Amino acid sequence: MQDLIAAQTINLIYAVTLLAVLSLGLAVIFGLLGVLNLAHGEFIMLGAYCAVVVRQNGWPFLTAIPLAILVCGSIGYVIEVLIMRRLYRRTFDTLVATWGLSLLLRKSAEAVFGLTYRSVETPLPGTIDVFGVPYPAYRLAVIGLGATAIFVLAIWYGNSRTGLRIRAMTGNPELAQSLGLSVKRLAAGTFVTGTCLAALSGVMIAPLVPVFPYMGLDYVLRTFFVIVVGGLGSVIGLVYGALAIGGLDSAVSAFSNGTYGYLSVIVLAIAFLWLRPRGIHVRG
Amino acid sequence: MSAAKAGIMVVLAVPFAFGEYALYQMSLYFLYAVAAVGVGLCWGQVGVLPLGHALFFGIAAYLAGFVLIAGDNAPWLLLLLPLAALVAGIIAFAIGILVFRRVGESGPYFSMITLALSLLAFQVTTNWASLTGGFDGLKDIPSLPGLDSTMANYAASAAALVAVLAGGHWLMASPLGVLWRAIAQNERRVALFGFNTNLLKAVAFGISGLFAGIGGTIYASQQGFVTPQVVGFGLSAELVIWAAVGGRGSLVGPVIGTLLIGTLTSELRDTFRFWEVLTAVSFIVVVLFFPSGLVGLMDPVVRWLDGKPKVRDDIEAPVSVRNGAPPRRLKIDQVTVRAGEVLILDRLNLDLGSKGISCIIGPNGAGKTSTFNVVSGEMRASQGVVTYGDLVLTRMAAHRIAATAGIGRKLQFPSVFPDLSIAENLAIALWSGRASASDLLRPWVRRWTSPLLRQLRLRYAFLSSGARKASELSHGERQILELSMAILTEPRILLLDEPCAGLSPDETSTVIDVIRWASEATGCAVVIIEHDMSLVLKLADAVYVLHNGTLLARGSVKEIQANEDVRSIYAGNRK
Repeated sequence: MQDLIAAQTINLIYAVTLLAVLSLGLAVIFGLLGVLNLAHGEFIMLGAYCAVVVRQNGWPFLTAIPLAILVCGSIGYVIEVLIMRRLYRRTFDTLVATWGLSLLLRKSAEAVFGLTYRSVETPLPGTIDVFGVPYPAYRLAVIGLGATAIFVLAIWYGNSRTGLRIRAMTGNPELAQSLGLSVKRLAAGTFVTGTCLAALSGVMIAPLVPVFPYMGLDYVLRTFFVIVVGGLGSVIGLVYGALAIGGLDSAVSAFSNGTYGYLSVIVLAIAFLWLRPRGIHVRG
Repeated sequence: MSAAKAGIMVVLAVPFAFGEYALYQMSLYFLYAVAAVGVGLCWGQVGVLPLGHALFFGIAAYLAGFVLIAGDNAPWLLLLLPLAALVAGIIAFAIGILVFRRVGESGPYFSMITLALSLLAFQVTTNWASLTGGFDGLKDIPSLPGLDSTMANYAASAAALVAVLAGGHWLMASPLGVLWRAIAQNERRVALFGFNTNLLKAVAFGISGLFAGIGGTIYASQQGFVTPQVVGFGLSAELVIWAAVGGRGSLVGPVIGTLLIGTLTSELRDTFRFWEVLTAVSFIVVVLFFPSGLVGLMDPVVRWLDGKPKVRDDIEAPVSVRNGAPPRRLKIDQVTVRAGEVLILDRLNLDLGSKGISCIIGPNGAGKTSTFNVVSGEMRASQGVVTYGDLVLTRMAAHRIAATAGIGRKLQFPSVFPDLSIAENLAIALWSGRASASDLLRPWVRRWTSPLLRQLRLRYAFLSSGARKASELSHGERQILELSMAILTEPRILLLDEPCAGLSPDETSTVIDVIRWASEATGCAVVIIEHDMSLVLKLADAVYVLHNGTLLARGSVKEIQANEDVRSIYAGNRK
């Protein structure tokens, strides 16, 4: 019994951390630029394919990280310059444009890699005992890395000069520009950061899930709901949101099946729109 | 010959021009087009993007499948078939009410929820095998009696498409369509005219769901099978692409998009690997650079086919429900409004009498516009009540305050509907308090006029050039258009927020005349926020001075000018 509780607890921690990490990129772009990037899931998908490619060529798993940053960073940059730049503050247009982008990336992946499911061999095989329960080592690594990434990002955003500049830009773009901040470069940097974060989380999950062109759809919805429930604009809100969505989903799915888990997540998100449209954690 | 007739002739010619297989293909794509028209209606008219619209197509297809299978043994059950489409429409309407009502949210949140529901439906239909047949779907669905040949199916699909187009055309030509387009441009302004915008949006979504449902119902009979694909993401996405590329702003746009992209895709998908990448690129390009889509390119042809629009005579509008009712007292009692730590209104008491013209003055940040926002229900008071006669306004929605209390408003920045014509702008104001729910479905109601409108047109000639778009007007003309619209609703209390801002001296003096005339002609009480003291001198029967969210002084213009407190807050300004 105790083992079961311990196993379930670690599973829950794992699910929540993973969800929070997957949401980071979306939260950065939505929270700071006001753009709901519907192609977020596709950047995760591309990141996962980077891991697939690296493994197929027999390179070490970690080389997927620079590859993902290179690929998704440059795609993100090109998209920002060609499309997003002219659309900031036109929420609806950005929605449609990023939706089109998601389609483009998905169809491109389909054209290049085909529809088959790929899997990536885990870089850390074996298990480690946690509270007497053997747990897959790679999942533990995900928990550790994910928690660190969230923590570092929160500190950086609150304390760094760039964080301050970004906050100034989101607060009042015209004023920030008149103070000599290069709003264009900051916005591009933020967008690229968001796409790279998505890609890195994609690399991270590649050994855990089947990789296929349509995998991003599910992630963009889940991570969006995390942000709806958690509230925009703070890392702590993101963690709350991941706790609520990931926790509810795992709990309901454990007792019934995945469909009900998914249904409960949608109901929760609609309930939040009704009751707390700004989420659990609202920043000042 | 009109464009509509040309279209119908093309539809009739297809069976003779192409072979059996093309006919079969067309029958299927006509049904998809029916659903795409629904997406176009929602997105192009109301500005709400449904990302999971296959949901309604699929719900109706499954329901129709059940009915058709059951109807094999009990033919009378086939009479229930129309319910399949209707249920899809009702579900869409319910979702619309549920999501729009609370926060009026119709941007990303709404789109994402429709997307999520469509994915959920895919999971349910895949997993609930005992009912839906699981991943393989419902099979061996008998076709409707009489619809067993390719030709008959083609005729049924074509008839459904023509019917939906005719219905859609009628909606777009009716006042409801005008209100939808107005909502897409400035939802707040529509609500301030007393229309329940969330309900209107839900109606639009419900109708677009119904359209998709009609397509789905016939689909089940025509194809003979229904799989989870019809509720899922793939079809949802394609409906959006077809509507966008064809042109979401018009009714035929989505049809052309569906027929062109749809058939090309089924031709090229297998031979040309990057075809779908290409459609994605064309989607992005169209959405960003050619919002009117392919059909926009054909505009000149359509206009040539349709010829000049006929000008018809105006119709006298019914008398406003508010006509002649004496204004009652508008009382703001101990109202406090906070934004975070900042006190915007601090236990404000304001008794705005019930006749004549009052002016509210005060330095920037005194809480003048916020007072209006509280009265018209756009800003919530954390304490205190606002009453109009014995009506408590504080907890009422903005549109109900405008409609039931008859509180009209002109906003600080001229806010008209830029992409609507002058006539349409004025008509929206006329419908407020006059049009019943069924009037909103009667196209000729767009030709309403009223004595006030005739007099306004005599004063301002530009109001008569009805076909011009409001966006073509100058700043001053837009101020006057919005003022005219506010007057046309025959409000009992008219709140004007800096009606003369940015006007030339000449324009200012005509506006002063109009305000005076309107208050006498309609018997309404007028409350004006104004900075310009010369204007206050000319207009005000009573003056209220706000400072830091409270009432500093009230009285006649003379009394206020003599008031020491007022002088001290305006010190250095000497006005």
